[in-house]
Amino acid sequence: MAFAVEMIGVSKNFGPVAANRDVSFGVRHGEIHALVGENGAGKTTLMNILFGLMQPDSGEIQIDGKPVVMESPRTSIGLGLGMVHQHFKLVPSLTVAENIFLGMEITKAGLVDHKAQSAKARALSEEFGLQIDPDRKIHELSVGAEQRVEILKVLARGANVVILDEPTAVLTPQESRDLFRIIRRFADAGMTVIFISHHLSEVLEVSDTVTVLRDGAVVGTRPTKELDEDSLVNMMVGREVNFDRRDRKPISGHAILELRDVFARDDRGLPALRGIDLEVRSGEIVGIVGVDGNGQTELSEVVSGLRAPSHGEIFLNGQAVEGSDPRHMRAAGLAHVPANRLVRGVNATANISANILMGRQRSEPWAKNGLIRWSAVRDLARELMQRFDIRARDENVTVKTLSGGNMQKVVVAREFSQHMPLILIDQPTRGVDIGAMEGIHDEIIQRRDAGAAILLISVQIDEILALADRVFVMFAGSIAGAVDPENTTEEEIGYLMAGGSRSSDQAA
Amino acid sequence: MEVLETIFNVSLISATLRTTAPILLVALGGTFTTKAGIFNIGLEGQMLIGAFFAVLGSIWTQSAWGGVAIGVLAAMCVALTFSIFVVTLRANEVVVGLALNILAGGLTITLTKAIFGTRGSIVSGDIVGLPRMHIPIVEDLGSLGKALGSFTPLIYLAFIFVFVVWVIIYRTRLGLHIRVAGEKPAAAESLGIPTGLMQHIASLLCGLFAGLAGAHLSLGYITMFAENMSSGRGFMAVAVLIFSIGDPVKVLFGCLLFGFADALSLRLQTFGLSSYLVLTVPYLVTLGALFLLTYRQRPKTLRETAESLQLIRREKA
Repeated sequence: MAFAVEMIGVSKNFGPVAANRDVSFGVRHGEIHALVGENGAGKTTLMNILFGLMQPDSGEIQIDGKPVVMESPRTSIGLGLGMVHQHFKLVPSLTVAENIFLGMEITKAGLVDHKAQSAKARALSEEFGLQIDPDRKIHELSVGAEQRVEILKVLARGANVVILDEPTAVLTPQESRDLFRIIRRFADAGMTVIFISHHLSEVLEVSDTVTVLRDGAVVGTRPTKELDEDSLVNMMVGREVNFDRRDRKPISGHAILELRDVFARDDRGLPALRGIDLEVRSGEIVGIVGVDGNGQTELSEVVSGLRAPSHGEIFLNGQAVEGSDPRHMRAAGLAHVPANRLVRGVNATANISANILMGRQRSEPWAKNGLIRWSAVRDLARELMQRFDIRARDENVTVKTLSGGNMQKVVVAREFSQHMPLILIDQPTRGVDIGAMEGIHDEIIQRRDAGAAILLISVQIDEILALADRVFVMFAGSIAGAVDPENTTEEEIGYLMAGGSRSSDQAA
Repeated sequence: MEVLETIFNVSLISATLRTTAPILLVALGGTFTTKAGIFNIGLEGQMLIGAFFAVLGSIWTQSAWGGVAIGVLAAMCVALTFSIFVVTLRANEVVVGLALNILAGGLTITLTKAIFGTRGSIVSGDIVGLPRMHIPIVEDLGSLGKALGSFTPLIYLAFIFVFVVWVIIYRTRLGLHIRVAGEKPAAAESLGIPTGLMQHIASLLCGLFAGLAGAHLSLGYITMFAENMSSGRGFMAVAVLIFSIGDPVKVLFGCLLFGFADALSLRLQTFGLSSYLVLTVPYLVTLGALFLLTYRQRPKTLRETAESLQLIRREKA
């Protein structure tokens, strides 16, 4: 029997970089097919080609055994393909039903028939078990509900092949489990699901077949039941990776960062932090986990001086610091690896040396008499490039031409090499490949062992559990609870992330 | 008291509606571009071109409505030029808008000189103005009825268009797609809605209304063209659009406010108040409106502080 979807010898280059090299794989009817690979392995490019958002340089696509040319998403939608993008493409001011039927509105006498759309959306959501109120506006919905709307959008267009790009990146473990149930239901109903992920455990849990991509090429396609986590990682990176817990040493240091009863508001003026008490001691890593948007961003901004707390006190190195001034916080002993390197981490249009200089530009030997001493800066940049394994031709390379991993290493190198008593690290390895991730983790441990106090915020639970000495879960702007990184379970963390709290074990 | 009565009477209401109409027409045009995500500062120029070509068209065709049609067509040409630069060539919308405004000012003066050999204004018996309507039923309703029953047609249309534009924007597929193109272009494109085309259409619709506004200026109550006769109404419309985020109903109220201020200043002039002082009235009203809008934000800060304190107290308890 012909494959539902088959890609044969597909290649795509961006300038000198090969994103996909001679990729061939087939997806059978009614299966959940996981497309796995490190960041930058070419998964998303491949799916964009399949969906008609990009054209391949060579190769062929077949749907049900028939060769097709995907000129635009219109073509692929017409052939029964539907894609749920990693970044949702919903219109916040419109209702769920309006979003579902956008571009294929039901009209009556030339006007959009909201009642009919709403009824049809409700019927569709009941048919596939995707709970949603069709009359709510998108901006009132949770991320999980937004994703359900995206899936309904695809279903309303009659898709029988659903492509999901990193669907669980924004979900709580419980929401992910609901999603898995839904896509299993699709497969049982004879639909085909292509599922992009780099979370190995969920790939093993949910898929029937796995295709692994590495450096733009297919490593292999295997039935999931023949694979385990080790063999999958091996296929992805081509070597063994150590994901076990890192060694931990007993905490003995004094408090470097203290937050007492800190409140803050978000950009819309809504309460974002509610009474945070937190202490980070010298020589320990304190990890913060939580679903994105539960106050982690504001916590990191308050600690880095980017956002003024509306109430509460912050002590750095025993002295009270006023928030809302990053320069003051840095002078008091803060190094900061921000969550979004392109927004706050680097000046992407400047070269590596200039980015390494940032934060040092007022102190000797990098500057003297108000002038920058570039020779000293370049020497430092070269030294850090070697120590942190930043792969670039030389220190004059523009940062925006680097890969995500190397760009992040520039930030990490700059911040870690200042030897500050407190390091705030927000999403240390977002969009970074596994090799670079390991390097960054090693550096974090090294700084901890050298006595730095480290506040680590990440949406990657594995990362926090692997590195942190103490772990707190944030929910709705508060610390929902502490978990023991040695013995906690995914269920326990998921429970706290979703707002459950335990009366015991609240000690901070 | 007597003074107030002479200022605030029926004719002030009718004057308000009359002065509101041109701002309202051009602002309704601007709702389309605002909703399509284009900051259209070029309303003023489109309106001026509309006014000029309406006069020209009226002379050529010897018909008021022929003049309106040609004025509208000319304004739409300017609008299309605007959207080709802004949407297709991705030029900065403020720069292009300002450039077209300046061009409109210069072009109308030059063409006046070239065609009529005069400077400053076109006054001619050949210009056919728009007829006043007479709506008998309304006219029979006393003095107010008399004032409201005999406007030129574009004034009635301006107020009817508020509803029409509202329906187009919020109830039709075209309006929906224009809004989506402005609010979330990525969503539109992923569903095969051409955002560029939507923005061109929005700009053309804008030109249509700006042209009507211009034609109303030069063929409505006075039948002449004067240098820079749009005199900032396009910019007032831009201000209204910023406050109203392009919502037609809010646009109506914003324009009524400006129209009222304009009418009031005209009335006050007849009382022998210094005309310089009186002419500041519309701008004072603008400032007042801005102040009120920001003042409304202030209690929010106070409210937030109170909320914080409450929260702290609750969590402490």
